[in-house]
Amino acid sequence: MNTTMENFVGLSAVLTGFSQEIIAPTLDPVDIKSEYLKKFQDEILKESKDSHLVSQILEQFSTLKNAGKSDQEIGEAMLSDQNTQDFVMACRKLIFMWYSGAWPTISNDGLSTSSELLSSKSYVSGLAWQVMQAHPMGDSKYRYGYWETAPAPLSDYTGH
Amino acid sequence: MSTSDSPEYDAVIVGAGIAGALVAYKLAEKGKKVLILESGPAVPADRSGYMETFFTANAKTPESPYPPTTQNPNAATDNNPLGLPDPSTENTPRYTVLQIGAWRQPQQCYFTYTPQDANVSPDSPSAKFAFASSYERIGGGTTWHWLGTTLRLFPNDFELKTLYNVGVDWPSGANGNTFYQNLVPYYEKATHEIGVAGDKDQMVQLYKQFNVSPNGEYGVNYNFPMPGIVNSTVDFAFSNSITSLTVDGNPVYVTSTPQGRNSLPGERRQCAGNTNCIPICPIQAKYDATVTLAKAMQTGNVEIRYKTVACNIQVNDQTHDICGIDYLQYTEQTGIATGKGVATGKIYVLAAHAIETPKLLLMSNQSKSFPNGVANSSDQVGRNLMDHIMYLAWGLAKDPVYAYRGPLSTAGVESVRDGDFRKQRSAYRIEIGNEGWQWAANDPFTTLADFVFGQNTSQLNGDSKNQQGQPLRFNPSLPANSQLFGKQLVETLNGVYIRQLRLGYLIEQLPDPENRVQLSDTEKDHLGLPRPKLTYRIQEDYVRNAFVSAKKVSTEIFNAMGAIEYTQEAAAPVLNGSPSEVTSTNFQYKGTNFKFYGAGHIVGTYRMGDDKKTSVLNSRQQSWDHSNLYMVGSGVFPTIATGNPTLTIAALTLQAADNMLKDLANA
Repeated sequence: MNTTMENFVGLSAVLTGFSQEIIAPTLDPVDIKSEYLKKFQDEILKESKDSHLVSQILEQFSTLKNAGKSDQEIGEAMLSDQNTQDFVMACRKLIFMWYSGAWPTISNDGLSTSSELLSSKSYVSGLAWQVMQAHPMGDSKYRYGYWETAPAPLSDYTGH
Repeated sequence: MSTSDSPEYDAVIVGAGIAGALVAYKLAEKGKKVLILESGPAVPADRSGYMETFFTANAKTPESPYPPTTQNPNAATDNNPLGLPDPSTENTPRYTVLQIGAWRQPQQCYFTYTPQDANVSPDSPSAKFAFASSYERIGGGTTWHWLGTTLRLFPNDFELKTLYNVGVDWPSGANGNTFYQNLVPYYEKATHEIGVAGDKDQMVQLYKQFNVSPNGEYGVNYNFPMPGIVNSTVDFAFSNSITSLTVDGNPVYVTSTPQGRNSLPGERRQCAGNTNCIPICPIQAKYDATVTLAKAMQTGNVEIRYKTVACNIQVNDQTHDICGIDYLQYTEQTGIATGKGVATGKIYVLAAHAIETPKLLLMSNQSKSFPNGVANSSDQVGRNLMDHIMYLAWGLAKDPVYAYRGPLSTAGVESVRDGDFRKQRSAYRIEIGNEGWQWAANDPFTTLADFVFGQNTSQLNGDSKNQQGQPLRFNPSLPANSQLFGKQLVETLNGVYIRQLRLGYLIEQLPDPENRVQLSDTEKDHLGLPRPKLTYRIQEDYVRNAFVSAKKVSTEIFNAMGAIEYTQEAAAPVLNGSPSEVTSTNFQYKGTNFKFYGAGHIVGTYRMGDDKKTSVLNSRQQSWDHSNLYMVGSGVFPTIATGNPTLTIAALTLQAADNMLKDLANA
């Protein structure tokens, strides 16, 4: 039996395509995962009005993981039409939050998305900046002239 | 304090941006006693507070780090979805990019606008638009959020009327390139004050092309203070593939941009490529006016009063000299006025940028001799408002270019800025963006939402075609409106982001006396001062022709690179209707819908000239009406020309400071 946080991080890694060691290493002073888990629980409860939905999502992930399914199989099962719309949308919003540091709101017509940042920490933790092999705008960890040459390979950023 | 015969200071300056700070420094360095009145708050001891505001802002617009706050999501309503603050509750409100969409709603927008004519057609030259650029009212001014581009203007820019029979000349324009030649030493000094990194060889190449001086000399004994900022991987993608093109007879090639940021460690830190020059450089590798302001303060001869809003300029009705500037003070942005006074000096210098300066002049209408406002016998104050109106084009490169890295822009196409074509259409320079589609399409968030939620706002994830009929789905093997996760999401987002290209055309708007800043008849700020009322049009086909050219050239450039163009045709303009339905900067021309963007270059509202009937200032930047009143900043420009204005602002200000010192010596 895994903890809620272990399942949350495991599910997040599968859905985002980043390794767990990148988004939430064992020693994790940044600890963005705690902020995201709380936001996820609060928002999903507010939006679905289903107090069991988050734990149901995490338990389903745990079951699939313990059954030895691959990341691809787990992701497909979590986002499958077999689940409720709220279940799948919660998983997609989780992906968006990890990439952007913001909680999304889909427009009524479903055609566009607006979002609200959680915090300055979540902004600089956004995986979007990593997947583009760059850095958060306004938070470079590089030195002068790095932009003259190609960046490190994508795998350095994703951990895969 | 009083308006007695013995003024307290040698000079009273309104505004602590780059122009005000440079005047203060140059006068104080020579022992003159200077007072600066700055409407906004003091320069913070460090920039962590501004950075925190920036990091947490949902919309990272140029003004987002700075007070007063630009948006409050908790105050959002159906009618005010962004939670824009009510300008009537603020003591120093200013226009922001988020207000552009709310331009017809004075409860959300600081500027008010003259009404649109009824039944105006979508392509009518008389259609009115929102102004598209913004500024700051804080210590250090708008240089907090400038890009850092420090190009000189070309000599021909100063003689538009003589050479091309459009617009106006700068003072003494008809006498060859006198104006330019007189400015060159100040251009050189300005690069030292700002701390410019530039590649002289590339400037020489450009100057040879335009025959600026026959040998292409850019200054015999001159070089930039620092070596040029290195080019980006994005720049190389352009420079390697577009040299076969020409535009109206000019060759197309990429020139490294001289920039006011450190390529070497020095007084400021070396640029670390935060890709965030606008809204804020986190490490001050980029110059801002707080650098000069600090030097001015260190002379011991400068006093600055923050949160002090100049509200009236007093005129001696016998001599027409200025004899004092009335001000109001506040403590809290939304609090009551907490003080008032009169500042007196031998000379007065207005440096409050090109909206607030004419506003102050027009508000100062109590003199019997100048009932239409101080310095306004010509009726030119507030007129000829200009910006580089921008055409944006964006695309996806064939191979990775690795956007989102380095300063926001490190190069451009300068080789198309001048030529005989200027008889038919506005000139432009082309800026190459290093920030992917961040400006053009609010990426990385738009593309992210598309591939997570199966949307197609970016045009990458559906059945969209571009304006040339090419299909735009990023991965044709994926279905439209794909919703991805895991490895496929990583590969798709990576593939898109690292190929993003953006071009921006800085189009030369012409001076139009009907484009103007007036005072609102009804709307006030929290101190009770009238807010600006604007009228803003693009009347001339001459200017609109440049949009047609920019659109065509962009497509040629992307084709030459083997890139796919994603530039979206703008929505059709809605010129009349409810305030929430009208478009702000969309216009139609020759059957195509365009949207213009602001360059942040607010120019022209108190221009210099050779004739006191048609200009506010003489070529010394001194009021024709009041011999002890000077004005500095981009408001003095008679035309907006083909380069970003800040280096020219600095050069002209240094020149004006020399004039002031001469006048003070003779007083």
